[in-house]
Amino acid sequence: MVEKTRSEKARVVPIKPVAPESDSLYEVRQKLHVRSVSGIFARWRWALVWITQLVFYGLPWLTWNDRQAVLFHLTERKFYIFGWVFWPQDVFYLAIILIISAYALFFFTAVAGRLWCGYACPQTVYTEMFMWIEEKIEGDHNKRRKLEEGPMNARRIGLRSAKYGAWGLLSLWTGFTFVAYFSPLEELLVAIATLSFGPWETFWILFYGAFTYIFAGLLREQVCKYMCPYARFQGVMFDPDTLVITYDEERGEPRGSRRKGADPRALGVGDCVDCGICVQVCPTGIDIRDGLQYECIGCAACIDACDQVMERMSYPPGLIRYSTENAVKKHWGSREILQHVARPRTLVYGGVLAAICIALVVGLANRTDLRMDILRDRAVLAREVGDGLIENVYRLQIMNMVEVPRTVRIGVSGLDGIRLANSEEVALPAAGTESVTVRVRAPRESGELGSNQIHFQLEVVGDASVRVREATTFLLTQ
Amino acid sequence: MLRWILVLWPSFLVAGIAEVVFFTVVNPQQLYLFGEAVEYSLIATYSIGFLAFWLVCAASSLLTLFLQQGPADVNAR
Repeated sequence: MVEKTRSEKARVVPIKPVAPESDSLYEVRQKLHVRSVSGIFARWRWALVWITQLVFYGLPWLTWNDRQAVLFHLTERKFYIFGWVFWPQDVFYLAIILIISAYALFFFTAVAGRLWCGYACPQTVYTEMFMWIEEKIEGDHNKRRKLEEGPMNARRIGLRSAKYGAWGLLSLWTGFTFVAYFSPLEELLVAIATLSFGPWETFWILFYGAFTYIFAGLLREQVCKYMCPYARFQGVMFDPDTLVITYDEERGEPRGSRRKGADPRALGVGDCVDCGICVQVCPTGIDIRDGLQYECIGCAACIDACDQVMERMSYPPGLIRYSTENAVKKHWGSREILQHVARPRTLVYGGVLAAICIALVVGLANRTDLRMDILRDRAVLAREVGDGLIENVYRLQIMNMVEVPRTVRIGVSGLDGIRLANSEEVALPAAGTESVTVRVRAPRESGELGSNQIHFQLEVVGDASVRVREATTFLLTQ
Repeated sequence: MLRWILVLWPSFLVAGIAEVVFFTVVNPQQLYLFGEAVEYSLIATYSIGFLAFWLVCAASSLLTLFLQQGPADVNAR
C-alpha cells in the first residue's frame, strides 16, 4: 500500500445535486380567452363549418331505396352508402379511401400548409361552434376574462350554467347523430319517444357527446398541441415553397406604437404597430411574429385581424399573409408563388393521389355485385354413383350484394361430361346470402386420378352481364 | 392533465384502428369466449371489444410513461 502525501491527496469534487426536472416537464396551461375575428378567412371557416355540419347532422335523415341513405349497419355487418351496399369482403375499398385521405392530406399540406387544421378539422369546427355559443352567452373576450377572474356570484354561476347547458345539448345531439350512423335512425327515434335506448346505444351517445364537450369546450388548443399526431409530422411535408401564414418581418420591424397618421419612416419604425391583436385572436395562443411554429394550425385568424388594423392605419394589407419562405426572401409576387406550386413534391403527391382516385372509380364501376365462396364437403371426398360416374359434394355460399332479389343459374365446367346432379337455379334474397349444397358428377375416365381443377360459374337469370367464375378441385377415384 | 392525455389518447387511436381491423376480419358471431360461443348482441360485442382494446393499449401507454421517467424522478423518491 502506498501512502499518499498531503499534496497528493485526492481533490474533493463537490457534488451539487441537480434540481429535479420532473416538476418542469409539463408546462401549466394558461386558459385562453380568444378574441373573435371577422374577415375573409373567418368567413371561409364558417362556410366550412356549415358545409361539414350540414352533411354530418343531415345525412342520417336522408332515405334511399326505402332505407337510411348512409348507414354503417353494425348488426347486419353491411355498409349502406346511397345506392351501394358494402360487405366485409369490400374492406379493400376502405383501405383505398384511407390511402386517398392520407395523400390528399400530404398534397394539401405541401401546397398550402395546414388547410385541413385551419378550416375543416372537426376539432376546429366544433371549437368554432362552442366559442360562438360562449361569446353569445358570456360576451366578448374581455368580459369572459373578467368573469373568470371575478368573484363566484349568482351572475357567474348563471352564465356558466347556461353555457355548459348549451354545450351539453349540442354535444348530446352530436353523440346521437354519431350513433345514428351505426344504428338505424328510425329505431333510435322510437327509442327516444319511449325512452328505451339499449344500454350500448346510451353508452356511445354519452361517450361521443362527452368527447365532443371535453375536446371543443375544455381542451381546445391542447388537442392540437399535445394530442394530434399530424401536428407533429406536418413539418416533413413543408418545403420553402409551401404557403404558410407568414409575418413579414422585413416590413414590420422594428415594431412599435405610434399615433395614427404618423410617418413610420420618420419615426424609424416598421409597419407593425405592436397592438397584439394577432396574439389575442390566435386559438392556440402563439405570436406569429416569432416565425412559423408547430402550434400554428393555419387558421389565418391573425391575417384577418392584422389586415383590419392595417386598414385603420391606412397601410397596405398583408403584413401577415399567406406566403412562402422563398417568396418572402426573394420578394416574389403572387404570380411567382403560383408558378412554384408545381414542383416535384407536389407533382408526386398529386400524381399518386390522382392515380388512386382513378383506381377507386374504376374499381367501383367494375365491382361485381355477386360473390361465391366454395367449400368442399368434408364428410365425403368422392363417391361412386354408378354408370362409371364419380360424385363430389360442395357447399356454395352465394352473396347477392344488390338490394333486389335475384335468381342465379349455377354451371360447372372443366372436365368432359361434368354436370350438376341437382337443381341449377337458386333464388337469392335482396342484399342477402344463400347457402346451397350441390352434387357434381363426372365420368371416371374424364380426368386424372386424384385432384382435377374445375370451375363453378354463376349467371344471373335474365341478366347475362353479371357472371362470377371460381375455381375448385374435383377428386376422381378408382 | 397532460399525463392523462398521454395515456388515454394514443391508446384510444390505436384501439380504434385495432377494432376496425379485427372486426373486419373476424365475424363476432364466430368468436368463442372461455370455450362458449359469444351470445352478446353485436353492438355489445363491438363495444366490449373496443373498450378491451383501449384498456390493453392504455396499459401499454402507462408503462411507457412509467419507464420514461428520468433518473432524477426515480432518485427523488
